[in-house]
Amino acid sequence: MDKLTILLPAIPLLSAVIISLFAGGQRRRVARISTGFSTLTLLVAIATLALYLRHPQPTQVWLGASWGSLYLDPLACIMALGVAGISLVVHAYSARYMAEESGYTRFYLLLDLMAASILLMVTAGDLVTLLVAWHLIGVLLYFMLGHDTRRATAQRYAFWTFFTYRLGDLPLILAAVLLYQAYGTSSLPLLFERIAAAPDPHTVFGLPLMTTVGLLIALAGFARSAQFPLHTWLPYTMEGPTPVSALMHAGIVNAGGFIINRFAPVFVHSGDALHVVFAVGLVTAILGSVLMLTQNDIKKALGYSTMGQMGFMFVECGVGAFSLAVYHLIAHGLFKGTLFLSAGGVIGDARKHDGVPHDEVYTFVVERRPVASRMPWVVAAIITVVVPVALLALSHWLVGGRFVQQQGAVILLFFGWVTGAQVLFATYRLRAESPWKTMALIILSLIVVVAGYTVIEHAFDLFLYPDRALSERIFVAASIPLATFEILVAILTVATVAGWLAAYYTNAKRGKGDGRPSALRLAFYSLISREFYIADIYAWLTQTVLGLSQRLNVWSRWV
Amino acid sequence: MTLKLTLIALFLPLFPLSMVQNLILARLRAPIVRAALLLLWPQLGVALLYTLQPQIPAFIVTWALLSAGFYALRLLTVRDLGLWAAFLASSALALSWGLAVRGVDVTTLRLFVFWFSLPAALLVLLTGPLVRRLGAAYAGLFTGIVERQPRLAVVLTAVVLSTIATPPFPGFFALLDLLRGLGNAAAVGVLGVWLLWGWAATRILQGFVAGSGREIVAPDLAKSSMLTYTAVLAVLVAVGLQFTGGGL
Repeated sequence: MDKLTILLPAIPLLSAVIISLFAGGQRRRVARISTGFSTLTLLVAIATLALYLRHPQPTQVWLGASWGSLYLDPLACIMALGVAGISLVVHAYSARYMAEESGYTRFYLLLDLMAASILLMVTAGDLVTLLVAWHLIGVLLYFMLGHDTRRATAQRYAFWTFFTYRLGDLPLILAAVLLYQAYGTSSLPLLFERIAAAPDPHTVFGLPLMTTVGLLIALAGFARSAQFPLHTWLPYTMEGPTPVSALMHAGIVNAGGFIINRFAPVFVHSGDALHVVFAVGLVTAILGSVLMLTQNDIKKALGYSTMGQMGFMFVECGVGAFSLAVYHLIAHGLFKGTLFLSAGGVIGDARKHDGVPHDEVYTFVVERRPVASRMPWVVAAIITVVVPVALLALSHWLVGGRFVQQQGAVILLFFGWVTGAQVLFATYRLRAESPWKTMALIILSLIVVVAGYTVIEHAFDLFLYPDRALSERIFVAASIPLATFEILVAILTVATVAGWLAAYYTNAKRGKGDGRPSALRLAFYSLISREFYIADIYAWLTQTVLGLSQRLNVWSRWV
Repeated sequence: MTLKLTLIALFLPLFPLSMVQNLILARLRAPIVRAALLLLWPQLGVALLYTLQPQIPAFIVTWALLSAGFYALRLLTVRDLGLWAAFLASSALALSWGLAVRGVDVTTLRLFVFWFSLPAALLVLLTGPLVRRLGAAYAGLFTGIVERQPRLAVVLTAVVLSTIATPPFPGFFALLDLLRGLGNAAAVGVLGVWLLWGWAATRILQGFVAGSGREIVAPDLAKSSMLTYTAVLAVLVAVGLQFTGGGL
């Protein structure tokens, strides 16, 4: 088990060394060696998980005296498997995709080093190893995104990403230093034991230590996972090669969810930090989704879609559903990776034939042809409201009755209900040939999705947090006073229903006005199309700092 | 500020005394002499500090941070590689006062300044091959060397990364050790300086390595030179791992 743990980051590192020293720059050989080692890494990750399932006991391996330890627990096992799997797919895909590009060996070298760094991060057993890996990922990503050295835009956005990642590195370093100063150890398991014994030995910056550390870790996660307002780099990283986009959107960007899970024992004592995580995640989810809807560039739309998903991931963390965030990040990684890697093929096929089946969904959405009949709206409304509630409540009750007593679970159920209701409402608007059949099929799909998600998430929770008391304490830490909670839920409900009514009203009114949008609407649209001017503010700040630097140099005569 | 401290601050550079070091570096032409000066100058400061043993007032940490921040900020718009290395050294070496105030032993302080002055010295040495090939070691003048002189580009990138305390280079662990002993506000200041180094590094690298640039026919760095630089950096990493102990 110990040896397998060491092999996880060591194999891709060895691959990097071999291809840079012995492959002689031969493209096919480079790809074969690197993909071969990547396959081996995946096999080791599978074996590690299998062995852990047989002997579920976390282990820590020390390679150095004071740092360089690896820690294998459920979170590390599952993350290593996900990372190794996505890394292998990207390796195999890049063999042909990058064939025409210059710097082929350099690309595979960086890919291997990146895989090694991510695996080191997820298995890090002490603060220093974690910091080293966390830091290296940012540096390597900079070079991967700027792989095409001739394109100025690729270099510009690689820099944006690097700078934002550095902004996220520094709070994590400070958090690590504060933890070390307070508890005198860098070993993560030992640190968590000492935190459990004495959570708040003193205050820092006027706040309890755990709150400060929690906020710093959250800040590190925000930068890495493109949370508002540190999100501007994400949609523009498409300037890098597609395999890098896939790797980034499927794996690297999820690091925020991982780091919060890794420091779960800190967040148990840091409810305030979790509330901030929730608020930032919610704002990010909303803004990411809104910005996604207004893009006319499919790749930027995908980028903002990732931003929205990351927002949801942080919302899950913020309500205390840590294991759900891990499940979300893996699921999102898989589907987003698939989207990126298949994007080229889809575009190629679409140039020959659109490939869209001309069924009732197509005729309604694309051709906007009204067809056939609708079901009675009262029936549709009842189904819309009741079915999602019944499904979600029942499935959660089945897996664990106490779960639904947590505030965080109620919020997730609420989101689930809103989503399910909107799907069913869309079905009502669909005007299908056979509305009852369509509705039945969609409800069936919803049952599969909801039940599948609930059962898998529950299994994830049991696997990741076998200490049930810890899992419950996270939910408790994330909770707020009951009265405030109920008021918030009421406001959310009113806002959601008002949104639906507004959408319905707008839809019904379509084509009846003079066609000119109101000034308010135009202002809102321009605000969104300029992406809330966040990037412009950063550009202005950058120019100001550079101007100051220039003036200081002139003033001090360059010495 | 006593005379003793002023003398030491000349060698463990604090602004405006640091201007002396940078002025001398600017006057010297031979890269090897400049590199030697970068290596020896701060060691002289450490030797003076432990020989004269002055009382170090607490405010000197603030001064050191301001000095380090001042040079880090100015680094952003420096395009001459030799000057960039000198400013980076001025910024990093000022931070050694954070350790001096803590009263660390002489070896720790000697190593701290060495972890930062050696990469800066290597960078100054690299100005030699750049000037011979491109006419000047000036960012933005001839870009895209990764296409035409890949070995030079790799070495330049690795050395620049070592100057800004990227792991696994020892500067990273040395900074962790420094942060461990500082107060919280001072630690935030050091992190701000570190952030500026990273920004400046990307600007200088993009000015040499990336871009299509003007065509210039020049040979790449010799394999033997590349191996020498690689060996020095590898030894730096190995020795750093041995002596820094991870920083925390």
